[in-house]
Amino acid sequence: MKDRYAYYPGCLASLSQKELDSSSRAIMGKLGVELVEMPSVTCCGAGDIHEAKPDYYLHISARILGQAERSGCDTILTICNVCTLNLRQANERLRENPEELARVNDNLQQTGIGTYQGGVDVRHLLWEVSTGDGYERFKEIAVRSLEGLKVAPFYGCQILRPAKLLGFEDPDRPESLERLITACGAEPVDYPAKVKCCGFPIVLAREDVALGELVQPLSQATEAGADVMVTPCPLCHLSLDAWQAKAENTAGEEFNLPILHLAQLLGAAAGIEESTLKFRRHITRLSDDVKEKLKLPSVVSAD
Amino acid sequence: MEFTLKIERYDPDTDQGRLQEFTVDAPETATLLDVLDVVKDTVDGSVTYRKSCRMAVCGSCGMRMDGAAVLACKTPMAPLAEEGRVPVISPMGNLPVIKDLVVDMDPFWAKFKAVKPWLEEDDRPPVKEWRVQQEELDRIMKEALCIQCGCCVSECNSMEADPDFLGPAALAKAQRFVGDARDRDRSERLRTLNGPHGVWDCTRCYFCNQRCPKGVDPRDAIAKLGAEAFRERLTRDEGAKHAKVFVSSTYRGGYLRETELVPKTIGPIGAITQIPFALQLARAGKVPNPLSPHKAKDNAEVKRLWKLLEAQTPTTRERATRGADGAGA
Amino acid sequence: MVRHDVVVVGAGVAGMRAAIEASRYGADVAVVSKLHPTRSHSGAAEGGINAALGNASEDSPEQHTFFTVKGSDYLGDQDAIAVMCEEGPGDIYELEHMGCIFSRTPDGKIAQRPFGAGGAPRTCYAADITGHVLLHVLYEQLVKSQVTVYEEWFALDLVMDGDRCVGLTAWDLVHGGVQGVEAGAVVLATGGLGRMYRGTTNAYACTGDGMSMAWRAGVALKDMEFMQFHPTTLKANGVLITEGCRGEGGYLRNAEGDRFMFNYAPNAGELASRDVVSRAEQTEIDEGRGVDGCVLLDLTHLGAKKINTVLHGSRELAMDYAGVDPIEEPIPVRPGSHYHMGGVDTDVWGRTSMPGLYAAGECACVSVHGANRLGGNSLLETVVFGRRSGAAAAQDVRSNGSGGVFSPSAVRVAERRIAQLLYNFDGVRPHVIRDELADTMYSNAGIFRTAEGLEQCVADIADLRERYRDGLGVVIQDKSRTFNSDLIQALELGSMLQMADCLVTGAVARTESRGAHSRLDHPDRDDEHWLRHSLTSYDDGQVALDYKAVTITEFEPAVRTY
Repeated sequence: MKDRYAYYPGCLASLSQKELDSSSRAIMGKLGVELVEMPSVTCCGAGDIHEAKPDYYLHISARILGQAERSGCDTILTICNVCTLNLRQANERLRENPEELARVNDNLQQTGIGTYQGGVDVRHLLWEVSTGDGYERFKEIAVRSLEGLKVAPFYGCQILRPAKLLGFEDPDRPESLERLITACGAEPVDYPAKVKCCGFPIVLAREDVALGELVQPLSQATEAGADVMVTPCPLCHLSLDAWQAKAENTAGEEFNLPILHLAQLLGAAAGIEESTLKFRRHITRLSDDVKEKLKLPSVVSAD
Repeated sequence: MEFTLKIERYDPDTDQGRLQEFTVDAPETATLLDVLDVVKDTVDGSVTYRKSCRMAVCGSCGMRMDGAAVLACKTPMAPLAEEGRVPVISPMGNLPVIKDLVVDMDPFWAKFKAVKPWLEEDDRPPVKEWRVQQEELDRIMKEALCIQCGCCVSECNSMEADPDFLGPAALAKAQRFVGDARDRDRSERLRTLNGPHGVWDCTRCYFCNQRCPKGVDPRDAIAKLGAEAFRERLTRDEGAKHAKVFVSSTYRGGYLRETELVPKTIGPIGAITQIPFALQLARAGKVPNPLSPHKAKDNAEVKRLWKLLEAQTPTTRERATRGADGAGA
Repeated sequence: MVRHDVVVVGAGVAGMRAAIEASRYGADVAVVSKLHPTRSHSGAAEGGINAALGNASEDSPEQHTFFTVKGSDYLGDQDAIAVMCEEGPGDIYELEHMGCIFSRTPDGKIAQRPFGAGGAPRTCYAADITGHVLLHVLYEQLVKSQVTVYEEWFALDLVMDGDRCVGLTAWDLVHGGVQGVEAGAVVLATGGLGRMYRGTTNAYACTGDGMSMAWRAGVALKDMEFMQFHPTTLKANGVLITEGCRGEGGYLRNAEGDRFMFNYAPNAGELASRDVVSRAEQTEIDEGRGVDGCVLLDLTHLGAKKINTVLHGSRELAMDYAGVDPIEEPIPVRPGSHYHMGGVDTDVWGRTSMPGLYAAGECACVSVHGANRLGGNSLLETVVFGRRSGAAAAQDVRSNGSGGVFSPSAVRVAERRIAQLLYNFDGVRPHVIRDELADTMYSNAGIFRTAEGLEQCVADIADLRERYRDGLGVVIQDKSRTFNSDLIQALELGSMLQMADCLVTGAVARTESRGAHSRLDHPDRDDEHWLRHSLTSYDDGQVALDYKAVTITEFEPAVRTY
């Protein structure tokens, strides 16, 4: 883990999923990490711009990477699966193809935008705290053992696949979330759909199909006895949390499964205040029982 | 070396399935296919699977190992044996099972045929070859690598939820023609592919890229089709409209204008039906103030960048004439 | 029972080209194939397809003809070779128009590279996946043509009315049951038989079934003793590494690091004819200058860029099956059985001695390859003669109609036979006989042959055929009628045993060395006695041997050196 990162929270974490931003800042702060702001960035474009306007996607990515570079950081910290894949994909294309990089920089210069020299790496918060000294540091600050809490990890897609662009762990047998859940004192719950798609990219354009995907992790995790689900991606979170009621309709089942952002789970274990973790912003409410298991002070009586 | 595996059997005559374990000896270099051959030859001749080339070009032997589609002939068994892992071998997903590891490929071929998978060349072809630059053909070389094995389809999350989705293999095949400088039917093809169960149904799970044993990257081919649709101005599908919001948000302020996403994707009428849903989000504070959207610093330069790149993108007509030119070029 | 004008058996490049052509002539065409078409072994061809386009150098069909004749060690029929070389360019252009993605020269023409013993750079290629590209282009055209395809139907026997072929019986693998396929004309395009050898580049499907069907129906097979051994195959599983690697500048080295080929072929070096290179390699290995039973194919000097573009497939194969990255280190290779020059005796239109029966591709012998085939000429043969036999078959039907009556008893007889085979519990598993066959072929009918080795082989095959007892000597464990691949493998073994018998009968009789047939006891070519094709015919289950003249038009047989 680095001492400082260029911080790229992405759109959802900054807007509808603000709770993720506040939790991430808090947990990184507690880990002693400096997050350098990047006030001029745009949305990474998600799979949408990458598909619709591939060259524009390449350029706005280069702009973001260049800003991080100029801020004196060698690594961008992301807190979203999609941002991670998008920036890493563009980064690889630029770093592997000097002609491409030159062409892109030429265009950037023409519009008065700073160029990118290829000196930045992009890493998700999940990777930084689930191994190495990041993991050790986290274990030190995870003072509130969430014993008794059963957590279903949901990886989603774009933090695992394609492995040749992400390469952090085996995409079919990932373990990073489980390691962190254990470090929080909680119990990871296994189920097959934890690496499948939540459907977010098509949840508006093809809601039926997305719901057909979404019911799988929700149903399986609930059946496996999970109290909560945790995910490293705010897009997955939005699907699993906000569309959960619709998924219940599709499945004809009740889930009542609160969805946590990874940073919220880590924050709870590290004793970060509820006002920062902002569970109130969730659509699928946390029950008192879950709040107790999360050792939230508002529920747990002082002993 | 000793190899143990479990095979998901299915007997169509009795409609019975079961998991059966086998342990056999095979050379250290044995692939999954080699081990299956030893099982079939020496233990149980009724174990059924397809095979032919054993060198990963014919596409016959697609099957799942521990739930992930692979080519049996390309999967070395020694690493698993050394790990003490006993894999479960099962048929590919998203296709009906005929017997044991053999799936019915008819639905797969039906989708292949649905994308009109042959070159429609110009009415006046040259006598000799079309004169095409290597780099033009390189554009479709990845898609042309496809051996139609079905590994991408096996795990397609979208197809699992919607069996009518054309799917990664058919769409990659379609891109092979849309991107072929000699094909005259580009617009027609794109119109079909932009319809229901087409390009915009892809959920971007990237399972296809991950599973493909030949490096075709079908998801990337689908993305190329999306880009072609935009160049062709075929942007009526909800999926395309969804993408437009992302694009315009960047140069209008920086971050995604989430509040515009629903109405602009599914239209005003659709948006009205989603009002209860939106209110739910609003109550939780999840709806950003539409009247003061995010404005990043220095965003004006993004608009300039956008305009520059749009000016650089050749129009459809320009690309078509710049393409294959056989007549006296 | 189904009925079509033209029925093509086999859906590789030759079969599909025949079907497409026949349908262009307005015939109602069907293809019967034991595999889905794109699974056919044509897809494994890598290096390229020859034609005298003249894009890389001065060239002409006459030059192409000469090098092919020489390559054949003068056993090729020169009129047929001339036809193939003359029509080649037109066929290549047509393939390109169909959509074939040939690699290009800087000015956008079809690129051509040198191949073994070709003389000029004449081999058109699509990186190193030429066969894959051709196979898929033809399948696309087949789909477009709406020809009926009966896939995963295993052809059993030809059906005759008198002396005319009126169709065939086939086993429907997916659903079970014998199907009668009535045809005005049948085109066999069933490929080769490499699987009878241990150490082959061939797919599991290459078991000589079509040749066997024709032979059993009384049609003579020609030049069966000529089996080509490809110089660069991988040790672990026989997988082919294309000649294109040498065409792009790769070297062959022995354990001492020497480019030994120049001792055997002072001019052509690594690009000598395949039989010459295979014999050279085997000699190096036998004389102790090999590395673990192999020689080394060195591509390291070609550079990552070249390897990753035009030899990308080969690199993948080397990494997957030899654990070697050719960018970094040489690939250990050795000779393996690869292509069968012999096959069903045909003329230049694919006609056999049986009215209503045609053949094209590797299962046929026109002969355009004689005693040894040049790299790049096989794909050419499949396209040219696939087209010609499709045309001839369609015209045949137009003139002669159905030609005869297909008796339903043929189907009943076949059903009974299959039932007998399935319900046999007495015997060995087919692989026992299959492995013994493969071993004796490898040891006794391989690159270097001797009289005693071949005689041993003849005896071994006789013994194996007796033990096989037409299928009743083996036990098929899968008793189901649904997708019974165990049954198919047992039937394929029968084809291989019969074809092996023909091959070694021809080989033991031919007391000379010519092309790929190398006799240590008769090391010289003997034009006086042996400038003739062998013919092996069915004689009450045994092999009868006869001979036929070679057509020599322009090139008198000369000494063959490289």
